[in-house]
Amino acid sequence: MKRMRWLALVSVIALVLAACGGDGTGDTTTTAGETTTTAGGTTTSVEPDPDFEGRVLDAGGCDYGGRVEKITALDEFTVEFDLCGPHPAFLAQIAFGVFGIQPEEHLEATGGAPLDNPIGTGPYVLQEWVRGDSVVYQRFDDYYGTVAPHQTAVLRWATESAGRLTELAAGTADGITFPGTEDLEDIEANPDLVLLDKPEPNIFYMGFTNTFAPWDDVRVRQAVALGIDRQRIVDTFYPEGSETASHFTPCVVENGCEGESWYEFDVEAAQQLLADAGLADGFETTIYYRDVTRGYLPTPGDVAADIQAQLQENLNITASIEQMESAEFIQQSSAGNLDGIHLLGWTGDYPHVTNFLDFHFADTNLQFGDPHPEIYEALNEASQLADAAEAAPLYETANNAIKELVPMVPIAHSAAFFAAAADVDGAYAPPWGQVMFNFWDNGTDTLVFYQGNEPISLYCADETDGESLRACAQVVEALYSYTQEGEVQPQLAEECVPNDDLSVWTCSLRQGVLFHDGSTFDANDVVASFTAGLDASSPLHTGNSGVFEYYDYLWNGLINAPESDG
Amino acid sequence: MTKEITGRHSRRMSRSEAIEMLEAQAAGPERLFEHPMSQWRLALRRFRERKSGMLGLGIVVFLILVAVFAPLIAPYEPNQVLIGREDVGPREPPCVHILGCDESLPQHILGTDANVRDEFSRVIYGSRVSLSLGFFTVTLALVVGSTIGAIAGYRGGWLDNILMRLMDVILGFPSLLLAIAIVMVLGRGLQNALLAIAVVTMPGYARVMRAQVLAIKESDYVSASQALGASPTRILIRRVIPNAMTPIVVLATLGVATAILEAAGLSFLGLGAQPPTAEWGTMLASERNNVFTSPHLVFFPGLAIMITVLGFNLMGDGLRDALDPSLNK
Repeated sequence: MKRMRWLALVSVIALVLAACGGDGTGDTTTTAGETTTTAGGTTTSVEPDPDFEGRVLDAGGCDYGGRVEKITALDEFTVEFDLCGPHPAFLAQIAFGVFGIQPEEHLEATGGAPLDNPIGTGPYVLQEWVRGDSVVYQRFDDYYGTVAPHQTAVLRWATESAGRLTELAAGTADGITFPGTEDLEDIEANPDLVLLDKPEPNIFYMGFTNTFAPWDDVRVRQAVALGIDRQRIVDTFYPEGSETASHFTPCVVENGCEGESWYEFDVEAAQQLLADAGLADGFETTIYYRDVTRGYLPTPGDVAADIQAQLQENLNITASIEQMESAEFIQQSSAGNLDGIHLLGWTGDYPHVTNFLDFHFADTNLQFGDPHPEIYEALNEASQLADAAEAAPLYETANNAIKELVPMVPIAHSAAFFAAAADVDGAYAPPWGQVMFNFWDNGTDTLVFYQGNEPISLYCADETDGESLRACAQVVEALYSYTQEGEVQPQLAEECVPNDDLSVWTCSLRQGVLFHDGSTFDANDVVASFTAGLDASSPLHTGNSGVFEYYDYLWNGLINAPESDG
Repeated sequence: MTKEITGRHSRRMSRSEAIEMLEAQAAGPERLFEHPMSQWRLALRRFRERKSGMLGLGIVVFLILVAVFAPLIAPYEPNQVLIGREDVGPREPPCVHILGCDESLPQHILGTDANVRDEFSRVIYGSRVSLSLGFFTVTLALVVGSTIGAIAGYRGGWLDNILMRLMDVILGFPSLLLAIAIVMVLGRGLQNALLAIAVVTMPGYARVMRAQVLAIKESDYVSASQALGASPTRILIRRVIPNAMTPIVVLATLGVATAILEAAGLSFLGLGAQPPTAEWGTMLASERNNVFTSPHLVFFPGLAIMITVLGFNLMGDGLRDALDPSLNK
């Protein structure tokens, strides 16, 4: 009889809780039998596991030069990041999709390479990756956040922007990335379509690798910096709202535009510099690029042709154009293997100047050849400072050194756009992070979205391209994320709190969150995911290429990295 | 005639001249008295009677004239960027003053391309690239392919087997795919595209030539030449190949059209002509994204390719009918 009374009481409480559970649009987080509602979804009660053994990723100190000293699972739902110094951009950084969390067991089962079968906590479960055709997702009904209004989401790709627009106009797509500049007016004029402003900070630049002649001579690089009419490129090939770059980093990013503005177009000075370098008659070189439309480079072939024409006309430099396959181009340019000029760009991953400058000009980056201490020493020092005002003089030094040494020529900060069908509710294009399909409602059971290329893999800890990151983001989530407006917000963490000098960050994790395989998210999954990316000696450190480029640069180097030959 | 060969006071004939004379006798009295040009004159007369063939010839001659006199016809250099020189932007539509375009605007009868270059000038100069590529490709394929086919057919045996199986292997691949593979190995560019197309079209000439040689080498006049002691090389060069050329000429004429198309295809894929070369396939490729917004930039290079291919095809058909009237029956 007593047992029956208990059952009745529990039933009543359960009914009350169910009645108060909301409409599924708000987050409900339950901790140790207690339910609280936050911004976004429903989770179940979780009792603390007394037998929990927390994983630890221990670098054994900071002598290896990286940023992470130790990552510890303090308890089932608390993770502590002990860093080697202050890290003011920590939250913005861990919101980046490459730091997505997958189940510890899944990483172990796949040998650290869940390349086509990621398991996450996101709004979609990966159903199938049809190579060469599409990635198909099914709605994750147990998602704690905003559950997708449609059952199926399909991510497809078409290299040509015209192809993507054709699909959109035909009604076979609900949204597309980066329509061509020439199509923007037509989209705006079409009542069935909507142009989505994507206020992403980006930069398009032409880079040189200073280990190849004649780019080893700073006067040659300066000559090109002076001899290219960048305004002409922006006026001719970029959409309205784009601007000629005064600095490598867009000025919307704090401290991005400290220091002197870039060189003005001056053909005579450029020719004089070439003459001083003994190349008054010019020379032959190659312009490398990939024919992939990006927000920062809407018409790659046309821009390459114009740079070719300007080099010939202004500086008597005869350049051939070599279009490369996208992955090969990224690999070769990143490794500093391209002997000519490479046309590349960057779209910000998180809202901090380190995301632009530190990645490109760090002492570990070989893209522009031998790194310049005049640049990276100032950047290293600045990245340790929490106070932006205090860091400003260091960024001024770094930006001035970039201008003086010209590892690349910044050309344009481009306006960028997505497009969507007008009947899609909630369509948006975020400045940071990836567009999440669960906010798009086309009123049917299937949402179709087109991007420029096929993902390289679906294990984004070891990928860098936007196409892969967009595909991963639907499945795998990180501790933090970005709102549609670009603000940093907690995702799998409820909050991460720093110590006074910002060198230790303690993250309280969201409880009761389920992975798509039914397992429960906990602190060990966080440590295991970071171990797979950061610890080069871990058996989980496999990935796709094994480079883990973002882990390497954003955490300033990998733990237990093998000695380089050089 | 015998006296002339053996007479003491006359010039002594060389051995080759003697063989030629005797071969002519062996070929029969008609051959001896036949006017050497009459067969071609007959063919020419037949060709003239075919209006489509004459139209094709007219197109080809016109294109050759355009290519030769391109600097006089084109108002601009093909790679001249007009930014800052004229008040004109990228992908401007055609502007022809006599058709009502505002006189204050610079005249560009086919508009401008994405890099603000005069489209008409680029189309005109494109004829140089396409025609020369077509001619050189076919010449190379014809010379090498015909030689292989002639040797294989005349020599026979194991050499025939090896050479023709080699040709079969090449024919086993789709021609454009093989051309792409060859260019990927040799590297992008017009010259390598030319080589690649020559390689993939060569087996056609080899097979036709071999078939001709197999038939001709059984002829009486070839047997007579052999009986008179002519060397195989001499028989092949002087007797067999000249008589086997008729279908080769037709094939070559049609082959120019195919070569131009394949070159345009390679350039469209970015493997042939490289920017800023004004080549029709490259021009098509660079504007393939703008079919709806700037159709003129796709239409005119495409039209140029179509007219050129049509011209060579019509001419080839006419030649085939003229040179081998039996096909018409």
